[in-house]
Amino acid sequence: MTRINNDSEFRIALDALDPARQRQVAARFVENVLALCSDERIARVLRVAGNSESSEDALAEALKTARATTFDCHTRCGSEGDWAEQAGYFVARAATAALTPIGQMPSGPAWQAALSSRMAQTSQSIVTGDDTAGQESNQQYRILSEFLES
Amino acid sequence: MSASLERGLNAFKGQIDAPVAAFFSSCVRCGLCAEACLFYTETDDPTLTPIHKLEPLRRVWRQEYTFWGKLAKAVGLSKPVTDEELTEWEPLVYDSCTMCGRCSMVCPVGNEIAYMIRKMREGMAAAGHAPTDLIGATQRAVTIGSPMGVKLPALQAQIRHAEAELGFSIPVDVEGADYMLLLSSMEIMNFPEFISAIARIFKHANVSWTISSEAFEATNSGIQIGVSEIAAELVERIVTAAGKLKVKSVISPECGHAYMAIRWEGPNLIGRPYDFKVVHILELLDELREQGRLQTTGKETQRLTYHDPCQISRRGGVVQQPRNLIDMVAGDFVEMPETGTMNWCCGAGGGVSANERADELRLQVFKRKKKQLDAIHPDALVSACSNCRIYLEDGLEENGMDMPVLSLTETIAEHLAGSEQPGSKD
Repeated sequence: MTRINNDSEFRIALDALDPARQRQVAARFVENVLALCSDERIARVLRVAGNSESSEDALAEALKTARATTFDCHTRCGSEGDWAEQAGYFVARAATAALTPIGQMPSGPAWQAALSSRMAQTSQSIVTGDDTAGQESNQQYRILSEFLES
Repeated sequence: MSASLERGLNAFKGQIDAPVAAFFSSCVRCGLCAEACLFYTETDDPTLTPIHKLEPLRRVWRQEYTFWGKLAKAVGLSKPVTDEELTEWEPLVYDSCTMCGRCSMVCPVGNEIAYMIRKMREGMAAAGHAPTDLIGATQRAVTIGSPMGVKLPALQAQIRHAEAELGFSIPVDVEGADYMLLLSSMEIMNFPEFISAIARIFKHANVSWTISSEAFEATNSGIQIGVSEIAAELVERIVTAAGKLKVKSVISPECGHAYMAIRWEGPNLIGRPYDFKVVHILELLDELREQGRLQTTGKETQRLTYHDPCQISRRGGVVQQPRNLIDMVAGDFVEMPETGTMNWCCGAGGGVSANERADELRLQVFKRKKKQLDAIHPDALVSACSNCRIYLEDGLEENGMDMPVLSLTETIAEHLAGSEQPGSKD
């Protein structure tokens, strides 16, 4: 089994994937933190993102929904922030990244989805006070390793 | 007259300094400022003409400081400013003006209308006519240190997250560092990747820097709402922290009004010059580029354009630096039709984004940005203000425009040469 142990290996492996496979593994990263988002639209768009049979139209529509959800979940400039809700915002952002065409995202959709998923977990850690830095990365290494084997 | 109205009118009187008096007496009522304001051009509503938004302040100036105005007031021929009028004007001053300063650029007699709006907000706030959302943000800025209620443990968590991603430490409270980085709450909450982008760039360029745990907030709600005492207190916190850490420079992040507040208004607010320099992050990055300390690799293949944040470009003078930086990483860059110092605002600055009441109007005036973008059809939009960024995303989404909005600093970080990238392939 290909074992991913750090971000360098993680990113090289992600970049080696074709756009459809990047989207599918990105969807798995987001699913891993989906519980942090209360907006049901994200679960729906992830089903589209993770499905290798999704049509271009379905993907475009899912991206539109993910973007709208991201904006709806963000903390407005100047309003009082709630880190639990902010975790949901990052989950939505991760879903948006997963669905964004590869050419529109300099850092790569799957990498960006991974980062935003980690940020969701960080936001949650601000609520709970737990130090979870690095934990989500390790889970993502495992998810990617399993994905590459599948 | 109510006590709050009296307070407001006294504040108006106190705000009428020589420039304001000169501006009012110079206005020739040509209406050119209307055509420069997206709130007018996109609504055709004459009450949204910039100079009209100042009408209560103008009347106070005339009645209190001009011969004919004083005479008219003495014989009962002038209409006093009322509480009802200030209620009517509140949306004109707070919802329909981003203090972008575009009107000031076209005024044939050189009136700084944005400066006058800033002055007028002082009176409006004193009279109790400021938006509830801005009042809340200002209270949090004073009591918590952040308009969005971001406390130090939250920043520390974001820093730990960034450090785990980066594999190296982010300096906090390092005495004697050259630069002290400020962050906006928007960055800490909505775009924390900015922190790791900066850390990567500074490691790459060998910049000596730190974040202060005592004053990390860059934004200044006192300026947005129009309460100079609060604005000054918020500036003082930064000055004190910079003095304590003995830094040579303070960096204003990707936030438009924060730059205006700390760089241009700050010394006047506290009544003395700083012991340190203030630079915008783009100014610093461009200096590093000039010195050969910022090296990038690869180019974006997508067609990029740049949205100039008003307070950074038009009112701040940072126009060429972002273009120099974009040139390092863009293979296909195109300017919008009106850009640089004459760019059109995103519609969300000056506290408008913090004011939920203004949402519908904000999206309506986004049509101006849409027209600019429709003229050049970029694949992605780059900017350098987290507030612009999120509300550009909103406007694009609302108008069905499929276009990501990128941070310039983060885009540079993504193209750094060498091994500073997390998971770098170099």
